Amino acid sequence: MSLATWMLSMAAAAEEVAKHGAEEAGGKADFILEEVADHVLVPLPKVLGIDLSITKHVLMIWISAAIVLILFSLARRGAGLVPRGLANFFEAIVVFLRDDVITPYLGEDATRYTPYILTVFFFILTMNLLGLVPMGATATSNISVTAALAVMTFLIGHGAAIIRKGPIGYIKHFIPPGIPAFVVPILFIAEIMGLFTRHFALAIRLFANMVADHMVVFTLLGLIFIFNNVLVAFFSVPAAVAIELLALLIAFIQAYIFTMLSAVFIGMALSEEH
Amino acid sequence: MLLNVNTGLIFWTVVTFLLLLLTLKKLAWSPILGALQEREKRIQEDLERAEKAREESERLLEEQRQMLQKARQEAQEIIERGRKAAEAARQELLAKSKEEAEQLLEKARREIELSRDKALEEIRNLAVELSLAAAQKVIRKELDPDEHRRLVEEALQEMRGLS
Repeated sequence: MSLATWMLSMAAAAEEVAKHGAEEAGGKADFILEEVADHVLVPLPKVLGIDLSITKHVLMIWISAAIVLILFSLARRGAGLVPRGLANFFEAIVVFLRDDVITPYLGEDATRYTPYILTVFFFILTMNLLGLVPMGATATSNISVTAALAVMTFLIGHGAAIIRKGPIGYIKHFIPPGIPAFVVPILFIAEIMGLFTRHFALAIRLFANMVADHMVVFTLLGLIFIFNNVLVAFFSVPAAVAIELLALLIAFIQAYIFTMLSAVFIGMALSEEH
Repeated sequence: MLLNVNTGLIFWTVVTFLLLLLTLKKLAWSPILGALQEREKRIQEDLERAEKAREESERLLEEQRQMLQKARQEAQEIIERGRKAAEAARQELLAKSKEEAEQLLEKARREIELSRDKALEEIRNLAVELSLAAAQKVIRKELDPDEHRRLVEEALQEMRGLS
């Protein structure tokens, strides 16, 4: 959890710098944290304790979903036995995910969970990339979004496991066979904790990675205002550009990692042996 | 700021995600994965078919080769047989002609002998007649015919003994 505390301290520092910088630069520094910070666009009433307001990240989620839908609708024209154009491009990605991510970890269940895994990948990838577009924001740099996705992976894997093995078989699954009885309670608790930690880490990993590069860019550009010297920009701007390029890579890598780990966790929940 | 959990955002994420999942499943995953499987099946079938065709053609080639071999052997046999038959015919003809020639020779020889014997006989008879006539003319006056004949016979006997 040192990562989370570090993130927190970073966030606090960033906020401070933002305030300071905003005062200095007339509110211009605010623009950089726009990608990470969320704020309400259309206030809506609370329903059953849930604030349904359309925030910036909600909008970004919808835009991501719309982009994915539009791209795949366009790809549909070229689909078929001999794929052309966009369909060919997406098919290559789909084949890679199916053969190198889904099938190795899910085995016989691969066909059933393929739509879920593929949707997770393309959805997260578009959300990650949206943060790199001007005027865009990274919805995946919001813990609520990544947590929702991680919880879905958890529920799908373990829901399916309970349905398949029955409640008793499901609980037995946590205890490896052939261990002494007195170890069972400790092991059981450890297993349950590991289970939640895994999915918690899944949410935090994506969130932290998405926040981090914006934070670094923000800090680098903030240096200009901290030193109050325009010459610092000759260092800060190229460095920030390099970090943004790295962020592009990270956007793909993290989408892939989340997807792969989702497949791994669902596969683990469904596996017969521990 | 960053770690605040916003239930509304969670709600919208889940709703959006599920809608996206359902739509994409209909719109994209089923057609794409279906086409993929279809293509994989097709390629598999094509490969199997090609393999089968290759085996078939190999089999046919082998068959053709064997047939050719057989045909060649048969041709060889036919030629051999023809040669043997020709040789036999030649031998037969040769033997026959030799035999015929021999027969012809034999016949000729016999005929020559026969005609020679006949000629000798004729010469002998003629000689008897001539000598008879000559003797008759010479000795007619002093000898009676009986004595004459006896003498001639005697002379002839001597002649035969000589020849």
